[in-house]
Amino acid sequence: MLPDQVYSPAEDSHLLLRAALAEVRETDRVLEVGTGSGYVAAGMLGRAAMVTATDINPFAVGCARARGVAAVWTDLAAGLCGPFDLILFNPPYLPTAPEERMDDWMEYALDGGPTGRVVIERFAAEIGRVLAPFGRVLLLVSSLTGLDAVRELFARAGFISFVVDEERVEDETLYVIRAMRDLCRMGA
Amino acid sequence: MRKSLMEILCCPVCKGDLELIVVEESGEEVLEGTLRCAACRVDYPVSEGIPNLLPETACED
Repeated sequence: MLPDQVYSPAEDSHLLLRAALAEVRETDRVLEVGTGSGYVAAGMLGRAAMVTATDINPFAVGCARARGVAAVWTDLAAGLCGPFDLILFNPPYLPTAPEERMDDWMEYALDGGPTGRVVIERFAAEIGRVLAPFGRVLLLVSSLTGLDAVRELFARAGFISFVVDEERVEDETLYVIRAMRDLCRMGA
Repeated sequence: MRKSLMEILCCPVCKGDLELIVVEESGEEVLEGTLRCAACRVDYPVSEGIPNLLPETACED
């Protein structure tokens, strides 16, 4: 039973876990950012060398710890130095107007700002600091958030990306993109 | 948190190393303690096994 201030695993969580299980290697140091209930991170236990998870919501951090995941209460990867070989993120991605904001913990799990991409932009700008040189990022993206716009902002941050999995859910399509440093552009 | 987690933690502000001060532990697991950033002169708590590295909840010197 999850506290009602924690996002319950849904189709997006299941899709990210499926993609992560297909991607992970035994030697990977894995980080899940914004883990929520810890469902995806817990699914990686025993499949990687190390699994760490973060959340800005203290109730979520408690849930992840209860699932046996090394959990850190911080914003994205702020209190971590890494390096990590595989970073997973199911971000808050719903386009949300200021008057729609709820001002509670669940909002951090859902609210992507007016474009739906506010937190994703911050993630793309910051995540290189904790990503190993050949590390991979798996990011859940919704058609509501704009697949092309998300891939473009990762490209501007120096990453190449492509879709590795997708699923249609009612009036939305969910994608998982895999991003890596664009090694051809490094030092350019 | 396990003590080995220290390898991947840093100060959320300056990204420098943290010093672990253990108050209560159980084997390798730290239950209560402090993560101190000497450079920023800020203490971050470890409470119920969870390191709290949110800058706005830290205690300044």
